[in-house]
Amino acid sequence: MPEIRVTPLGATEGGSTSHPPSCSGAGQDVGRSCILVSIGGKNVMLDCGMHMGFSDDRRFPDFSYITRNGRLTDFLDCVIISHFHLDHCGALPYFSEMVGYDGPIYMTQPTQAICPILLEDYRKIAVDKKGEANFFTSQMIKDCMKKVVAVHLHQTVQVDDELEIKAYYAGHVLGAAMFQIKVGSESVVYTGDYNMTPDRHLGAAWIDKCRPNLLITESTYATTIRDSKRCRERDFLKKVHETVERGGKVLIPVFALGRAQELCILLETFWERMDLKAPIYFSTGLTEKANHYYKLFIPWTNQKIRKTFVQRNMFEFKHIKAFDRAFADSPGPMVRSGLRGPARLGPCLQVVFATPGMLHAGQSLQIFRKWAGSERNMVIMPGYCVQGTVGHKILSGQRKLEMEGRQVLEVKMQVEYMSFSAHADAKGIMQLVGQAEPENVLLVHGEAKKMEFLKQKIEQEFRVSCYMPANGETVTLSTSPSIPVGISLGLLKREMAQGLLPDAKKPRLLHGTLIMKDSNFRLVSSEQALKELGLAEHQLRFTCRVHLHDTRKEQETALRVYSHLKSVLKDHCVQHLPDGSVTVESILIQAAAHSEDPSTKVLLVSWTYQDEELGSYLTSLLKKGLPQAS
Amino acid sequence: MESAEDWLVESLRLYQDFHAFDLSGATRVLEWMGDKGILVAGYESLKKNEILHLILPLRLSVKENQGLFPERDFKVRHGGFSDRSVFALKHVPDTRLLVTSGLPGCYLQVWQVAEDTDVIKAVSTIDVHETEGSLWSRVAIFSSAAPGVLHGVRLSSLKVVDLESQKTTYTSGVGDSELLSSLQVLDADTFAFCCTSGRLGLVDTRQKWAPAEYLGPSPGSAGGRWCAAAGGRGPGPSIASLGSDGQLCLLDPRDLCHPVSSVQCPVSTPSPDPELLQVTWAPGLDLCLAISGFDGTVQVYDVTSWDGMWGRVDPLFTHRGHIFLDDNGVDTAPLVTTHTWHPDKPRTLLSAASDASLHVWDWVDLRASC
Repeated sequence: MPEIRVTPLGATEGGSTSHPPSCSGAGQDVGRSCILVSIGGKNVMLDCGMHMGFSDDRRFPDFSYITRNGRLTDFLDCVIISHFHLDHCGALPYFSEMVGYDGPIYMTQPTQAICPILLEDYRKIAVDKKGEANFFTSQMIKDCMKKVVAVHLHQTVQVDDELEIKAYYAGHVLGAAMFQIKVGSESVVYTGDYNMTPDRHLGAAWIDKCRPNLLITESTYATTIRDSKRCRERDFLKKVHETVERGGKVLIPVFALGRAQELCILLETFWERMDLKAPIYFSTGLTEKANHYYKLFIPWTNQKIRKTFVQRNMFEFKHIKAFDRAFADSPGPMVRSGLRGPARLGPCLQVVFATPGMLHAGQSLQIFRKWAGSERNMVIMPGYCVQGTVGHKILSGQRKLEMEGRQVLEVKMQVEYMSFSAHADAKGIMQLVGQAEPENVLLVHGEAKKMEFLKQKIEQEFRVSCYMPANGETVTLSTSPSIPVGISLGLLKREMAQGLLPDAKKPRLLHGTLIMKDSNFRLVSSEQALKELGLAEHQLRFTCRVHLHDTRKEQETALRVYSHLKSVLKDHCVQHLPDGSVTVESILIQAAAHSEDPSTKVLLVSWTYQDEELGSYLTSLLKKGLPQAS
Repeated sequence: MESAEDWLVESLRLYQDFHAFDLSGATRVLEWMGDKGILVAGYESLKKNEILHLILPLRLSVKENQGLFPERDFKVRHGGFSDRSVFALKHVPDTRLLVTSGLPGCYLQVWQVAEDTDVIKAVSTIDVHETEGSLWSRVAIFSSAAPGVLHGVRLSSLKVVDLESQKTTYTSGVGDSELLSSLQVLDADTFAFCCTSGRLGLVDTRQKWAPAEYLGPSPGSAGGRWCAAAGGRGPGPSIASLGSDGQLCLLDPRDLCHPVSSVQCPVSTPSPDPELLQVTWAPGLDLCLAISGFDGTVQVYDVTSWDGMWGRVDPLFTHRGHIFLDDNGVDTAPLVTTHTWHPDKPRTLLSAASDASLHVWDWVDLRASC
């Protein structure tokens, strides 16, 4: 039977939300995604993530699982990357340039644009800040990206003659996609990270009723029930409002412009009602990136969101302005009338978005240094920070930081860690399974013992099998692909003409010839097949000799045979022909004298190939001998 | 929706913290398991219901450095399936056992919360002899080395059954067939009961049935359905009784015959489902209680100096979150099915509604801002 095999090579380990720290310091999400799938003789690697919790080789997936001695390029048909987060693409340059893989790497266009930026950023932090050796180089990142083939949403991409892939919208971050991998009639869908509730700038994931043999879904948040978007937003607004009200400033370091976009829309909506007297500022670094980002973003989103954005480009916010680094020093709040951007007095800074997101360099770090000393100020960290960055340190609770030149910075400002990333929770996973209607479900990145209930829930609700393999464990699914065969009308009609109506409870044997041409299967009558192929029909006839001891004449033997068979074979047509031979249906039995021994008679039983069954039955019957003549 | 946005801005001032969740099915129970876990259970009649053990968001459990914990989500720590609707759920303290009561079939189900996996399994049942098919038994737990399950549909069928041996250790022994609406264990030997008529009493299980009783509101009053709760903190009345017409009575256990006060709460009456009426005392605040079950709100009252109070009163705080965050539109406003106080955080409550929403909210005492 054909099989689909799945082996996860990466998992969530340590320091995750399931192991909350005992001392102060946030439990930051860590983990790496890397899954190997074998389907229809093809091998596909899904994602190639880095585990940021480790500084040694443990951060890379164990690629030796894939193939012990063969070359990866020969073994793998393709690699697919779901989105630009480092725990899904962080090990890609290591994999392709240091381990060695030259085949195609598929990802969506925004992912292709953003991945190299994040990889380079990460490389800089690891090598420059933490002094790591054996890390991939900038050139390796470039060489790796040369192997990338960009795909569009809902576009079927032929990897080769048999393997095709298709990307679906996953929400989560810009460019994130879920992938369908198909070989013949077998298919697997891999979700990557996704969310089923829309946020302000990215819609929810969507897939059609594609009914894959297997749905592989991330389940890191499978055992959570997510707080509503409104309450998360409320929390953010409250923090900003309280800080501004007491005369403080709010710094929000961001990388992903999408996230900044989301928060800008939120602040803009509530700006007036929240007594924000000053506009929200974007550092110039962000402004430059914004155009580039905008160009990637607009073709990616759906119609509905695109409409809102054509009207409301990032720069067309009423209360959002760009600012120059010189003004970070300005004391605030000094309210000026006519908010038209930087003026001689300097803008009144209350809320600032600045890059980079982990406070490891650049403008956000500069502003942080200036504002850290006041407890009226606040920094809101919007996501995971890599070890070695200032962001990571302050999220771990550190309040005294050693900066360049041995300067110690005392951090008195309030540090807030807010998680804005969207993931599917238990409810979301159920929704997606309901949309795709898979035959089987496989959960990755959860802890099996803690997901027994979810497994039961999925199995009961959807009547599917649910698997939860551990890291390195292979799940094998037997598939029974249905092969459609077209049956010729002539053949069908002939069978119907035989009189007996089709009965669902009594299957009837149908004889025909299966013709396989290209990917087409047809069942036709033998005659038609012969005609199409230009062959002549052969007749096969079998003859068997049965020796009987009988001293009488042949004619009498024949008569004895006739009487015997007539009485035994009541269901069959047994006839005694004028020439002395006996027929059972179309089987012919002739009696002859043995050439050498007159007391032995030889029965010649002959039948055509079609009557094989009856023929062999008769033969064995006759071999048992005839009853004594009365 | 304009009003939802306005409410959100208002909420910045009204609540310190606010979380809103969507359960897969509405719950009528909110039972604490430890100080970090809460149990909920579904009550639909024709499908499998879920019993869930949820761990509170880390942010709410951490005392220091709250800002460093981004997790605002509930973790489903354990789950199980029930073929019946669950109307009451009690955790047996210091064990991993739960007792539920529901319909159809008037028996109690005992569950085990697994230690090594995340499954809640049914383990045994406790018989309740009641002939009327639509009535379900109230439940309370006597926690001790040998826990006992107090249960009953009527005063006459009140019993305590030893959980392990299933032997009956106490019966009320009365023939009175009045229906019960609440049962509450007060200490190792005493429990409080309240009947639907408003009659309530305190019972000492060491004696033959002779409860200190309040016979209920005067016969002239409109009737309706009542429930009660004991346990008010601080000096003064510690028993509250709530009627489906919006009446709230306060009683002192030392003199049950004469209610200390009886007020009219500003609620929409009559309650659309009087079985959902609930009154609870705040474990962390003096003389503070909450009521729900009339509509989509939870109302908090400060009953200090309510001595001899009659007439209308105003709540100290009204939680309107279930109405404004209702995504279902205008058709039917949700009804709050149950609420409970956080054992450690004085002003934090949890409330659930018929639209499967579950809120955790920490209200601001606006009087204290000076």
